[in-house]
Amino acid sequence: MSELQLKHVRKSYGTFEVIKGVDLDIKTGEFVVFVGPSGCGKSTLLRMIAGLEEITSGDLTIDGERMNDVDPSKRGIAMVFQSYALYPHMTVRENMGFALRFAGVPKAEIEQRVGEAANILELGPLLDRKPKQLSGGQRQRVAIGRAIVRHPKIFLFDEPLSNLDAELRVHMRIEIARLHKKLATTIIYVTHDQVEAMTLADKIVVMRGGVVEQVGSPLDLYDDPANLFVAGFIGSPKMNFLKGVVETGTDGRQVRLPEFGNATLPIAAKEAAPGSTVTIGIRPEHFGETGSASLDLTIDMLEHLGGETFAYARHGDGEMIIIETKNGRGLKSGDSIAAHFDPAAALVFDAGGQRLR
Amino acid sequence: MNNGFTRKASAILTYGFVGLMAFLSVFPFIWMLLGATNSSIDIIKGKILPGSALATNVSAFFTQVNAPLVFWNSAKIAILATVFTLAVSSLAGYGFEMFRSRHRDRIYSALLLTMMIPFAALMIPLFIMMGKAGLINTHFAVVLPTIGSAFIVFYFRQCTKAFPSELRDAAKVDGLKEWQIFLYIYVPVMRSTYAAAFIIVFMTAWNNYLWPLIVLQSNETKTITLVISSLASAYYPDYGVVMVGTILATLPTLAVFFFMQRQFVQGMLGSVK
Ligand SMILES: Nc1ncnc2c1ncn2[C@@H]1O[C@H](COP(=O)(O)OP(=O)(O)OP(=O)(O)O)[C@@H](O)[C@H]1O
Ligand SMILES: [Mg+2]
Repeated sequence: MSELQLKHVRKSYGTFEVIKGVDLDIKTGEFVVFVGPSGCGKSTLLRMIAGLEEITSGDLTIDGERMNDVDPSKRGIAMVFQSYALYPHMTVRENMGFALRFAGVPKAEIEQRVGEAANILELGPLLDRKPKQLSGGQRQRVAIGRAIVRHPKIFLFDEPLSNLDAELRVHMRIEIARLHKKLATTIIYVTHDQVEAMTLADKIVVMRGGVVEQVGSPLDLYDDPANLFVAGFIGSPKMNFLKGVVETGTDGRQVRLPEFGNATLPIAAKEAAPGSTVTIGIRPEHFGETGSASLDLTIDMLEHLGGETFAYARHGDGEMIIIETKNGRGLKSGDSIAAHFDPAAALVFDAGGQRLR
Repeated sequence: MNNGFTRKASAILTYGFVGLMAFLSVFPFIWMLLGATNSSIDIIKGKILPGSALATNVSAFFTQVNAPLVFWNSAKIAILATVFTLAVSSLAGYGFEMFRSRHRDRIYSALLLTMMIPFAALMIPLFIMMGKAGLINTHFAVVLPTIGSAFIVFYFRQCTKAFPSELRDAAKVDGLKEWQIFLYIYVPVMRSTYAAAFIIVFMTAWNNYLWPLIVLQSNETKTITLVISSLASAYYPDYGVVMVGTILATLPTLAVFFFMQRQFVQGMLGSVK
């Protein structure tokens, strides 16, 4: 059992507030990913959980026990660092057993636990090497092994894959997912890689400027973002944002889009007040040849990725929008198209960026 | 053609200059070696060929000088100075780099400013201090003032900048206290920095002349540098004997340097890799 709770947690460096009141519940065995733009405080929050940064105010509890002032080594956590942080003067075996040796664990048990972790991560043949003699991926595995050996209640990862090349990153991502399945330990994982967040997480925590913007499962965040920031942050290519004005139409509420030749689409959001300006969000893949709403567009540029095509298009010289289509190989730039979509797929945000429902 | 000519000329100039510099720096060594084999008269006459007085010079040196005592004094001072300087300065460098404080940079600047004060200005106050502490004519008086070396603190702090802070974090998570991080992680990781500092401090302490000359007054406490200098300033100095002493005095620093050469170069280049 290792439930982790953050209650009104804040962190300031001098007068500069970095974490501005975070509340978060993490359940046992959950894979939680912190995402957000650079400098939003992901690492700081993780380091506060680890005990490497002091908590200015608020409470951190693990299994109901307040941990604010507990030594990092006594919190039941283990951390994997971005730079791996292996001790360069020790062999892989010594690196993995170091914490246990310090905790006074008997030699035989250290041996056995290191062997066990080495088995899981296929590190057996590397045990007597120094970190310098390992590749990036191997070092990463040793860093994970060093964490496993401690049998922590919670694993903390800070951008563990960002120093690896693309191929290895995919490989290690899968390995981490497999590891989570096998150990069923709580994992808190910081990344700014969307794909990592979407594929690994049970729960994504989107942060911005020291504040949690939204917490939810990957698909919840994708389908049902709480605000413009989350909508724009999750998903690649980005969601299209179209400026519009709410009107009362013949059959209920509708939004007029001035930049798209005053095209209109009906909306279901009751919170949208007639006369107000709103932002309409539509994902690139929601455009197609069917759907009751449509925009008249001219294609500006095309990106053919083989499987799909990204078309950059606009109405006249209005805002550029991105359309993702499976059958776009025949398109040419300069083509005029009618991009249809289902109005139900369009999200509505108020002028302050909050979602209107 | 013209181009080839200038290139050749510039090569000749370059090699000529480099050769001259090499000669200038090596010549004293050669002279020292040759001098040890010649009689004093020959050396004064400017003879720079090997002679046959080596055995005479060596035995004269060992009769005139209580070599074991003098070398022991030098070694004791150099080793104590090195060990204490390294311990104190590396702790200070680590502390300056790792711990944030509002006053850190002010204290550090003040420390660096002390490098600007010439030793001549410190000599008299230091002597009075040592006198009051009753340390005149002890080796402590030689070792103590060298320990707080601003330059070595500076050197350690600069090198500590390359020490990955995540290593310290990892060690904290692994359960190490600050002093354990220093001892079990920092020291081994920074060993080439230590080696470079060791060589610098050891050589300075071994060759130190002015301050020992002032505070070491009895023959029992004198170091090899002092003894050689007193041989050379005798009424009739025997330069052959002086050369033998100089060779013997050079050997330990040479040994230290060759022993740690690789680490030294690495340390000067930045030790964490
Ligand atoms: N020791 C410190 N003193 C002052 N400010 C700091 C300190 N450490 C971090 N910060 C500030 O705190 C903010 C959050 O930093 P943090 O490292 O948590 O960001 P991050 O979300 O991990 O970003 P990245 O994705 O770039 O790693 C930044 O604005 C940073 O400048
Ligand atoms: Mg970070």
